[in-house]
Amino acid sequence: MTNAFGILVFNPGNCTGCRICEMACSFFHYREYNPSRSRIRVLKIEKEGIYIPMTCLHCGNPPCVDACPTGAMYRADGSVELDTKKCINCRMCMLACPFGAISVDRVTMNVIKCDLCKGDPQCAKYCPAGAIKYVRVERAGEMRRRSYADRTAGAISLSQSKGW
Amino acid sequence: MGGYMGRILRVDLSSGKIVDVETSKDLISKYIGGLGFVVRILWDEIDERTDPLGPENRLVIATGPLTGTMFPAAGRYQMGAKSPLTGVWGQSNSGGFFGPELKFSGYDAIIIQGRSERPVYLCIYDGKPEIKKADHLWGKNTYETADMIREELDDREVKIAAIGQAGENLVKFANVMTGFHNFAGRTGMGAVMGSKKLKAIAVRGFNSVNVADPEKFERVLEKAYDLVLNKWGKAYRESLTTYGTPNLVDAINDMGRMPVKNHWTGYWDKAEKIGGYTIRRLYRVKQGSCFGCLAQCKYFVKTKQEGLSGLFKGPEYEAIVSLGSCLLIDNFDAVAYANNLADLYGMDSISLGMTIAWAMECYEKGIITKEDAGVDLSWGNYEAVIQLIHDIAFRRGFGNILAEGSYRASRIIGRGSEKYAMHVKGLEISAQDGRAQQSSGLTHATAARGADHLTSLSCLEERGYANVAAERYGEDKVKDLVDPLSTKYKGMLVKDLEDLYALGNSLIICWYEVGWPPVFYFDEMAEALHVVTGVDLFSSVSYVREAAERIVILRRMFNIREGLRRKDDTLPERFLREPMPSGPAKGHVCRLDEMLDEYYEHRGIDKTTGIPKDETLIRLGLGDLAGRYR
Repeated sequence: MTNAFGILVFNPGNCTGCRICEMACSFFHYREYNPSRSRIRVLKIEKEGIYIPMTCLHCGNPPCVDACPTGAMYRADGSVELDTKKCINCRMCMLACPFGAISVDRVTMNVIKCDLCKGDPQCAKYCPAGAIKYVRVERAGEMRRRSYADRTAGAISLSQSKGW
Repeated sequence: MGGYMGRILRVDLSSGKIVDVETSKDLISKYIGGLGFVVRILWDEIDERTDPLGPENRLVIATGPLTGTMFPAAGRYQMGAKSPLTGVWGQSNSGGFFGPELKFSGYDAIIIQGRSERPVYLCIYDGKPEIKKADHLWGKNTYETADMIREELDDREVKIAAIGQAGENLVKFANVMTGFHNFAGRTGMGAVMGSKKLKAIAVRGFNSVNVADPEKFERVLEKAYDLVLNKWGKAYRESLTTYGTPNLVDAINDMGRMPVKNHWTGYWDKAEKIGGYTIRRLYRVKQGSCFGCLAQCKYFVKTKQEGLSGLFKGPEYEAIVSLGSCLLIDNFDAVAYANNLADLYGMDSISLGMTIAWAMECYEKGIITKEDAGVDLSWGNYEAVIQLIHDIAFRRGFGNILAEGSYRASRIIGRGSEKYAMHVKGLEISAQDGRAQQSSGLTHATAARGADHLTSLSCLEERGYANVAAERYGEDKVKDLVDPLSTKYKGMLVKDLEDLYALGNSLIICWYEVGWPPVFYFDEMAEALHVVTGVDLFSSVSYVREAAERIVILRRMFNIREGLRRKDDTLPERFLREPMPSGPAKGHVCRLDEMLDEYYEHRGIDKTTGIPKDETLIRLGLGDLAGRYR
């Protein structure tokens, strides 16, 4: 059972593309380093310095759950879970996911996806750039709001704030 | 055994034969990986008769046991060959993502020999090596080459090491791009690839890097991350993460050690214009990083000046000096643009800038005229510099002479220009000055690949790390160790750091973990090495230290075999006789001889010849080399 109040939030603007998240994920799940077995991946446009961490977003209305014929993929409180005992590895969930967040592990040939590391997501724990955070659901969006407020603060002087 | 993939790939481009052999236990236990592997392989497979640009030269690319793990900044690989620039020992390493990918593809190292008739590239996809045609890539720059290979293989995750036009045209200081923003820069490794008609190496792999004891490694990681993020966090976050290496421009200029005007002096009142604070404020748009790094010093800039505008990889401290202050260029748009050109053509920005600086000083002294050069080589003329960068890459006109590097170019021009070539052993001097920091002079003089800041450069006196100095070398030596102008104990210091860097380059971890700030020392590195590999011998720190020493001494023997002796461990006259004309270190020269004797003594090297003593060789298990050279 994962923490129902936790949510993974991403800020690609902060991501530096170091891929520590991929390694932390692979090491947590398999005790070895192999980015191709990681459930999170950093997609890059190198020449422009653009890096985007991608993993399961734990949708509220998950298409993968709708597509799953056996009920292995299900929506729990705050997360989308995969019951490997029920999974028949048909990969319908992969077809349905609009983000490519579900992949196949080359060693076991099983479908894999983010499981929030039993409530302590390693990608968020180790991200040195502040691009991935695991926060209470009530605080989702708060950091973006705060950073916008901080940036705006510099542009607003007291004299300008008098009415419209 | 953890850490190693267990295979070394050998590619003969003359015959097209590809074989792979087991990574031998003997090689692992005596030479660790990375630099150690490169040293042993080059010692065994080439000798003093080998032509650096001939088919018999070897290009060795080696990863280390920590490469591809989560240990901080362990995303590097080491490259080595006999250098076409210096004719002696050549090595260069690079961050980025190529090294780990090579391990994921199942190899610890690649040895490339021979020479192909037609341009080719080596493709290792999912562990299967293949030589592919590269006629269509020949003539393309580094970025175009990488893009075209990715398109051809229909995979944008492929990691690519490639040369640009400079490597093809055998520019002596051509480098190797690895993944757009990282370069194995020094000693002309790109020209070695060009001579073999090897345009690129493309790698993608899906294997795992295993750790012998995952539970223990988790604890090693926790400790290492804590050291970096908490103990040294302030130094990292404020400097490397916020400003990147350009922060050094301001700091080192204040110390009077930042080369200006072809190393004429060490202080510039205009340094701020191309320094870290200015870049951060006016140019910086994004931050980047190498594989698994916590320092994350890479950055991107946007320049706006007409004709020089674009989105570029931010130039590092060394490039800002060689293409900026050493040419008296205080226009950052021009520095970033020139640095980007060097990247696209695939040239070492240090040697490139310093060679042009030599030409500019010769122009000032009237040795080279406008007719010789084809451009007005007045100090600060960035338009001429940009023109010359194009000409060097394609070896056109005067650029053809500069493409030989400052040492050879000065021998071609003659007329007293030799004394303005700022080189050691043929390699242009990096952005330190032995007059302002005595130990950096010793580092430049003794480094095997020539004047170099990544062989043993000390940071203890740079920022006054008195606690670290006391912890490592004893309270009584601290006063002299942290004084940049004192020569006392500096021979001991440089010897110790040379071993430390050799170990760091064998694991391989970045300089920003072992050098500045001084995060890891032998104990932490040996522990990580032992836990990752599970090799019992590595549990002893003194054994690991000895292995590092062996690597350094065998690397020195490579140069001894080439005929280098004590007389070659020296600096240009400028550092030894011309007192620093301005800045905080005004009036000082580098008192090299005092330090050199102490260094040889600690290193176990004969003071008259500069050859490692027989007893040193025997102690390190290299007894078969004893007495061979006089």
